[in-house]
Amino acid sequence: MELDLDADQTALAQALDSMLSKYATVPVGKAEYFVQNEQLERDLGDAGYFDVVRDMGPVGGVLLIEAVAGVPWSVEVAASALLGSALGEPRARRPIALARAPLDTPVRFLSGGGTLVVSDGKAVRRVDLTFAQVTPVESQFAYPYALAKGVDLGKAAVVNGLSPVEFQRLWQLGIAAEIVGAAGKAVDIAVEYVKARVQFGRPLGSFQVIQHRLSECAMLHRGARLLTRRAAWSGAAVDAAMAASYAQEAAARFIYETHQFHGAIGLTLEYPLHYFTYRLRRLQGELGGASHQSRAAADVRWPLQA
Amino acid sequence: MDFEWSEEHNAYRQRIKDVLAKNLPPDWGDKSRYDNGSDYTVAFSRKFCPILAKEGLLIPHWPKEYGGGGLDAWHHWILNEEMWGAGEPRAYQYMSINWVGPAFIQFGTAEQKELHLKGITSGTISYCQGFSEPNAGSDLAALKTRAEVRGDKYVINGSKIWTSAASFADYCILLARTGGSSRAGIGVFVVPMKSPGITVRVIPSLQGARALHEVFYDNVEIPLSNILGEQDKGWGVVTQILANERIGAPRYSLTWRGLDRGMELLRANGRLADPEVRARAARCEASLNAARLLALQVIGGRVKGRPADAETNIARYAAVCADRMVCEFMGDFLPEYLFPEKEPLLAAAYKRTASIGIAAGAAEVQLNLISRNLLRMPREA
Repeated sequence: MELDLDADQTALAQALDSMLSKYATVPVGKAEYFVQNEQLERDLGDAGYFDVVRDMGPVGGVLLIEAVAGVPWSVEVAASALLGSALGEPRARRPIALARAPLDTPVRFLSGGGTLVVSDGKAVRRVDLTFAQVTPVESQFAYPYALAKGVDLGKAAVVNGLSPVEFQRLWQLGIAAEIVGAAGKAVDIAVEYVKARVQFGRPLGSFQVIQHRLSECAMLHRGARLLTRRAAWSGAAVDAAMAASYAQEAAARFIYETHQFHGAIGLTLEYPLHYFTYRLRRLQGELGGASHQSRAAADVRWPLQA
Repeated sequence: MDFEWSEEHNAYRQRIKDVLAKNLPPDWGDKSRYDNGSDYTVAFSRKFCPILAKEGLLIPHWPKEYGGGGLDAWHHWILNEEMWGAGEPRAYQYMSINWVGPAFIQFGTAEQKELHLKGITSGTISYCQGFSEPNAGSDLAALKTRAEVRGDKYVINGSKIWTSAASFADYCILLARTGGSSRAGIGVFVVPMKSPGITVRVIPSLQGARALHEVFYDNVEIPLSNILGEQDKGWGVVTQILANERIGAPRYSLTWRGLDRGMELLRANGRLADPEVRARAARCEASLNAARLLALQVIGGRVKGRPADAETNIARYAAVCADRMVCEFMGDFLPEYLFPEKEPLLAAAYKRTASIGIAAGAAEVQLNLISRNLLRMPREA
């Protein structure tokens, strides 16, 4: 039993922190729902981070996802790191978008020139997207969103060796890790803000009600992080479902509490909080949300056919 | 990272399970009600603790020179998980093993060690913890019970409240004021509960049999040698001794058994397929897992010699949340089973989950400590 990161994992986390420190902020005056950064994408690729699972195992994968979810720039890493190598040849082009059939709603990271991976519950299919197959849509979530058009799933290649169950497990793992990363940053921002912001003649952070609610967030964050790391380590479907369920349920708390203590400044696009909370808002309901993940965990833990 | 127990740890857990299976009667649940203060459990513990001692399972984590096994905190935690999950057949002797004995080892005089360690390691002495007072609960340093030197004795006057096990313990580890009005000026005393001047009143409670008492000290005389550590410096003694105990008992282990039993019952009466039941149960399961992993991370830190920090409070608070969630699950879906004569395990787990946020340091105190020591929030003006 060893619940701390080992030396290699610690080194990985530190290397990521160091690399990502250059990308910790967006230029002053930028007011967008989401921001992207090609240089950051290149840096991650050049350093080989998208292959981190091959080199460091799935725990390395979730460390990468956690870390990148803690910078304001929106980068698709979860699917690339966790699923990329399972998609066969030719190597899938990033970004990799994940969806469930039918394709009638906007999909996160759906991008012309990238890859779409879709499960209909029976098979997992891969679509190498053309630009014509993708129509970007407006969204307040801190991710690029688009609708697929003219994609015939019946003709799309089935990904051999990737079952719908395994696809769901990896997706859940990615959701959980991304929530952990984004929530960690959102809570950090809120904690620093309430320490600095003086009202009623004292820092907001000296009010016990605020202290308690952010302390609860700190607990939920650590719980989600450990469940996620264990799910990565074990590879068990029930662990991934529980990690995602716990993280998605906690997401609602992270969003509410961190915004609440910011007041109006947190609602502006110039202030960076929304880059994290408006990821959490979307991740909260992804893949059916906490309820779906919980029932998936229950199916393993308490099968109906005993 | 490695989330698997070692073979040695698994074998150790199995050995504890075997000893429990061999020594708990088949109708243990009906008799004990999984209540460590019931007459039955307390009487049982007096036979059971010596058996554990013989098996080398009473004080496995104590240093070898004091009769222990010299095993690390993992073994201690595994033992605690199994015992708490079984309804704590050591009754309240778990306190002697967890912290009273170690306190004597660290701060006791040769005479105190001779008397108390022998009693604890043979499973024949039990203790209660005289800390809280009517006006000193979460704010423990506000305590007013006094211990004054008169000739060759300490004379104790005052009262304690919420004391578990006071009506059957042999000794009380008592905090009393020796001077001043703050943390400086507190002493730790070892008071025989049969001393003249002590009156104990059981406070009937929702938590369990003899879980709560009021204890009055009216000119109770004890020898000067019955102080543990130095006069006026008791706060330091308590802080140091309880640092490793802040995480509390692994209460989740009984809660977990309660949840499992609840799901068996729901299966039996055809309600297991209810999607609401399934989603809620899995959320309970996830919360219990989170609470346990956070506790294990603290234990791992202890094994490595990391000083206790706010992660301990995080783990405690996570356990509070998990217990509360399971308690609410039982209240929502299993109300017809929460009767000890019908379902002793479920009823006991339900009863326990109701007090976790209060026993051993209020949940809000944990949040205060997380806020101060982890988030580094400014103190309240």
